[in-house]
Amino acid sequence: MAVSKAPAFLSQLRLTLGRMAYNASGFNKYGLMHDDVLYETPDVEEAIRRLPTKLVDERNYRILRALQYSGLKKYLPKNEWTKYEEDVRYLQPYLEEVIRERKEKESWEKMF
Amino acid sequence: MATFRSTHPLIKILNNALVDLPAPTNISSWWNFGSLLGLCLTTQILTGLFLAMHYTPHVDLAFSSVIHIMRDVNYGWLLRTIHANGASFFFICLYLHVGRGMFYGSYLYMMTWFSGIALLLLTMGAAFMGYVLPWGQMSFWGATVITNLLSAIPYMGDTVVQWVWGGFAVDNATLNRFFSFHFIIPFIIMAVVMIHLLFLHQTGSNNPLGLKSDTDKIPFHPYFTIKDLVGFLIMLSLMCLLTLLNPNLLGDPENFNPANPLVTPVHIQPEWYFLFAYAILRSIPNKLGGVIALLMSILILAILPIWHKSSLRGLSFYPLNKFMFWMMVGTVFILTWIGAKPVEDPYVFIGQLFTVIYFSYFILAPVSLKMWDFLIK
Repeated sequence: MAVSKAPAFLSQLRLTLGRMAYNASGFNKYGLMHDDVLYETPDVEEAIRRLPTKLVDERNYRILRALQYSGLKKYLPKNEWTKYEEDVRYLQPYLEEVIRERKEKESWEKMF
Repeated sequence: MATFRSTHPLIKILNNALVDLPAPTNISSWWNFGSLLGLCLTTQILTGLFLAMHYTPHVDLAFSSVIHIMRDVNYGWLLRTIHANGASFFFICLYLHVGRGMFYGSYLYMMTWFSGIALLLLTMGAAFMGYVLPWGQMSFWGATVITNLLSAIPYMGDTVVQWVWGGFAVDNATLNRFFSFHFIIPFIIMAVVMIHLLFLHQTGSNNPLGLKSDTDKIPFHPYFTIKDLVGFLIMLSLMCLLTLLNPNLLGDPENFNPANPLVTPVHIQPEWYFLFAYAILRSIPNKLGGVIALLMSILILAILPIWHKSSLRGLSFYPLNKFMFWMMVGTVFILTWIGAKPVEDPYVFIGQLFTVIYFSYFILAPVSLKMWDFLIK
């Protein structure tokens, strides 16, 4: 039925546009993931602080490599570019937790 | 191991700014313009100091004193041409430095950014007053047009203008005080530069990727002392070319005529670095509206850190916004062209259109950033 196919079409379109935007952004050409390039607001800083050591080490390695390639004005070889499907939002659970805690703290502080 | 340069109370200030300062590895040539501005400021202060030894800030003598400098003072011609063209290079470096800040999201270092805006305004004030000093036709009439804008202030406007003039028109009192301000402002600029660097060194420099670069830093010396030296050599070469081969290229021939309050030049216009703002001023048919638009064309820079809502820093990973940014740069070039045109069709409409486009950038850019963040979420 056409009506039930519309949401599937829209979500497919969203996925396609998202992949195109992800590839056009360019951070994947430095081997970076989306959560590597987030601007470090206080919430993001706290989320990074809560990351397990393994994730921190992997993040630092990718950032270091990206900075080195940026200085050389080169990209990684194409086969090493981060793929849209392989991008892991490793920071999101921690970030959501930090934001939730901050909002809860703010609502408590409003009460008193 | 503690070295002399890191422990001596005075030397360590220079050491921490120029030698052992941790700097990102990947900062590009766009990061050269800070030091180039320092070079420009030093050049202007030195040449200006020697010019001031021979210049007379009096309406009857100013123009002749400049001729005296050009013809009689040893290397006076060189001092004058370096100072006049040095102002142009100052503004080239300023606009490229600010553009770097806008593109890479360096404005998120808020105190550095706000002190930078103060420096831009101070430099514009100094340049405006400096242009009046030769007391040519464009000096006098440019001063008359711009100081008259203060009369747009409601209620107090006319009083403020006469207070600034020191009389009922731009005259000797105005020239004398403009000389005093033009002399002292560079030293105020020097002090604000130190504040600007103080705040910058709290955080360290940004970099083209907008990432925190603490994991990969190198000492300022020798990497960026050498790189800055290369920048100095390139800029000094360009300055030599302009100053020695075509020193009047950026000037107005009208300023070879002594100031005459009874003869108005056909086309009053400021130097090239003010033309885009002049075009914005003239595109609003209302006087107060034009003055507000003129001020906002610069002060809108202060909005950038407040309206920053994107997930990433800078425009490096936002291709749509990069395109919009370069459209805005093109808009400024077109407004510069329009500022030099007479107030006639089709230039009036073009000026108004591109004024709207210029201000639209600051409204549409955050919207576009948010949309792109949503797409790649």
